[in-house]
Amino acid sequence: MSLFSSLSVSGSGMSAQRQRAELLVENMANAETTRTPEGGPYRRKDAVFSTSEQTSPFSSIFQKEAGMGVEVTDVITDQRDPDRRYLPGHPDADKDGYVAFPRMNPAEDMVDLMGASRAYQGNIAAMSAVKDMITRSIDLMR
Amino acid sequence: MVDALGSRLSHYMDLLSTRQKLVASNIANAETPGYRTKDIDFQFEFMSQVAGIQPDVHGVEGLKVKNDGNDVSMDREARLLAENAMRFNLAATLLKSQVKMIRSAIQESK
Repeated sequence: MSLFSSLSVSGSGMSAQRQRAELLVENMANAETTRTPEGGPYRRKDAVFSTSEQTSPFSSIFQKEAGMGVEVTDVITDQRDPDRRYLPGHPDADKDGYVAFPRMNPAEDMVDLMGASRAYQGNIAAMSAVKDMITRSIDLMR
Repeated sequence: MVDALGSRLSHYMDLLSTRQKLVASNIANAETPGYRTKDIDFQFEFMSQVAGIQPDVHGVEGLKVKNDGNDVSMDREARLLAENAMRFNLAATLLKSQVKMIRSAIQESK
């Protein structure tokens, strides 16, 4: 059933964009975090997308489907040096009085978040168009 | 289907749903690095009468490739999404009237 697997393609897009938005929100929440379990300041995370074969629950292996979904294959951590600010009174200051803060650009994260939200909306539009087509096909039987 | 027009319509709807799936997959991969827009040659596939064979999927020429090697154009996909849905609605309405005609032919003879 080609139309039903279109729904899972759009669903994979939605879930990938949601995961990306989660990472971006996490980045913004931790913009000033200086302590992490790994030690050192928080490091910015980002999702890596790649195409993936989508199958509907009942499709057989003989049905070669044309469409491709998307999935998050990797989460990369920013390896840039932390931002050093002079705050001698801070509990995490080193002997020279500098504190390592995450290297974060709020504008970058906000723009990415808007992109993720728009892409999510695009997937929802595709899904509702396909849903409408399925409803029309079902109406043929009435 | 019972008659030629009905089978043409169902072939048309099959192709539209395949194309809609490709549009959905292009939208889902709008931000995947290196992904290229996929489409079918609709006219050619509709004219080739062999049913039950998967249409040939190919890339689309002339789209602007972004820095990450992705060439999905959201405007194009949005247009195709709406167009496919409307064409499908039209075909479904026509097919429904075909079915109604056959049904009335059966029932009126009683």
